[in-house]
Amino acid sequence: MRMMIDDTIIGGHDLVRMFGDGDSQTTAVDRVSLDLERGQFALLMGPSGSGKSTLLAMLSGLLRPTSGRVLCRDEDDTLDIWSLTDRERERYRLKYCGYIFQGYNLFPALTARQQLEIVLRWGLGTPAREAKKQSEEVLSMLGLGNKLNLLPCHLSGGEKQRVAIGRALVKNPTLCFADEPTSALDWHHGEHVVELLRTAAHERGATMLVVTHDPRLLPYADTVFHLEDGQITDDQPVPLLHAAAS
Amino acid sequence: MNYALTTLWYERQRYLPGVLAVAFSALLIALQCGLLLGLLSITSIPIDYTRADIWIGSQDILSVDLGQKIPMSFVGRLSPENPEIDPTSIEPFIEAFGQWKKPAGGTSLCVVLGSKLEDDACGAIQALTPELRQRLTEPDSVIVDTSEMNRLGLTTGIGQTAEILGKKVRVVGLVSGYKSLAGAYIFCSLTTARKLLNLKSDQTTYLLARCYDRAKAPVVAKRLRERYEDNVDSEKKKDMSAMTSAEFSWRSQMHWLKATMAGVAIGYTAMLGLLVGAVVTSQTLYAATVASIRELAILRALGIPRWRMMSAVLSQSFWVGIIGVAVAVPTIWGMSRLAEFAGARVMLPNWLLGSVLSVTLATALVAGLFALRSLRHVEPANLLR
Repeated sequence: MRMMIDDTIIGGHDLVRMFGDGDSQTTAVDRVSLDLERGQFALLMGPSGSGKSTLLAMLSGLLRPTSGRVLCRDEDDTLDIWSLTDRERERYRLKYCGYIFQGYNLFPALTARQQLEIVLRWGLGTPAREAKKQSEEVLSMLGLGNKLNLLPCHLSGGEKQRVAIGRALVKNPTLCFADEPTSALDWHHGEHVVELLRTAAHERGATMLVVTHDPRLLPYADTVFHLEDGQITDDQPVPLLHAAAS
Repeated sequence: MNYALTTLWYERQRYLPGVLAVAFSALLIALQCGLLLGLLSITSIPIDYTRADIWIGSQDILSVDLGQKIPMSFVGRLSPENPEIDPTSIEPFIEAFGQWKKPAGGTSLCVVLGSKLEDDACGAIQALTPELRQRLTEPDSVIVDTSEMNRLGLTTGIGQTAEILGKKVRVVGLVSGYKSLAGAYIFCSLTTARKLLNLKSDQTTYLLARCYDRAKAPVVAKRLRERYEDNVDSEKKKDMSAMTSAEFSWRSQMHWLKATMAGVAIGYTAMLGLLVGAVVTSQTLYAATVASIRELAILRALGIPRWRMMSAVLSQSFWVGIIGVAVAVPTIWGMSRLAEFAGARVMLPNWLLGSVLSVTLATALVAGLFALRSLRHVEPANLLR
């Protein structure tokens, strides 16, 4: 297995994903390679239909690529996550990955705290008391300390998205993947969510890959990848992007 | 904290059809079986409402109403060979079908029951008060159940006369709670019964006996069977049946259960009830799980194993079953009282209620197993747009 260099935590190599058969076959992602570093807050941008979500799904172990590899650093070794069995990949996701999706997808019957507890108790087998403590800590960090026992129907859109972020972060993932996490929010709440994600990346050392088409997120990113027609057009540190924009 | 129970309570309207289906299944099965037991228990009234511990009847007897003649000399087989039996308690008991000719014409089947009438008699039904037993000492006098008057063509009851197998009888009293199935029970003295049924004084259809210690009855019955019923080496002596009252009651009920095929009919409808309950519960759980498919997909994406979600669905099916059963118990009680008020006999012994509730709960769990197929749709990649 190829060793990964420097501080790279996960990398996609020549990733290709096709959909359909015969004449109707389309290529959503075409020979894309990219590396993400530990603690990096990266944006994956591009127009609708450019293949952003498909690339995110392949990198995060949710969608098998037609060809190519995704390598992830696992302590002293490197894992090729698409050569793992389903069960191994499930364990990989449990150990390393957090996810935030466009919809909040919170269980309507469970309180904010229970949404997080269920991940710890069902996923990691954390004892009830410990799960409760950890969930409260994460929600307090996200500014929801006074809303622990509220059901989703009593939370605003921004608060629900923060609970969803808490659910992704509560097991301290090394990698966190977010698909349009601010699209359902006004900019005030969206900005707060982005700040939270960036803080989590920098303070917890978690690598964040955020799919978005919102340019207002650019100032917060460490790195931005642009995708068009299934291919990376450039990836630059943010200052260069800002310079290019001006 | 139980997530399944929390969800169940929060979305109670969604789960209500499943709960009601479980309750309906339990109610249907319990009432049907209760009615069947009630119906069958009628066939063993002469055993269940008398006080004998041991019943001696003709060879290979199937049911109490199918007794054949046996000689009174069988008394010698009971005592003194069996010291557990109180020799003073041994007495004849007569039961046989007869034909009742109504006062105004027409006939009806009846069952003649002749017993000793003394205070310590173990063959006299409990409803025969000393006064009624006194009246039965008069020749050709009989007592019938109030509910049978119509069937027997009686209007005023007491004082009316009729004929049984061509011999005149007079109604001297009425009892209640002894309604029969095939033919109305006619209670009378041994002398009257022998006269009506043309039995000689040394003949009877049963011999009854009591034990000093009732708990010894099974041992005595077994010993008598080994000696006079089961012993292949003594072919000549295989001419009687010996049973405890409980054994004979069960045998009589089972005979009529098989003879009428009522068990098959009840079993079939009970299966239908279970099936309806299982399908509705399964679909309720399936729909509820599908409604949470995106939330479950998030958990799958986070690496939470599928078996956790399976156990959550099964846990929900368990609680749907428990709540359904909890709803069913008071409903069963209420409906059985209603049925009894309407004149039906419903028997709901604890073993029956326990069995019905266990089977219904198990059905809810099986419904949960079928609902697990909904988890096949949980696909984390579908969350990405």
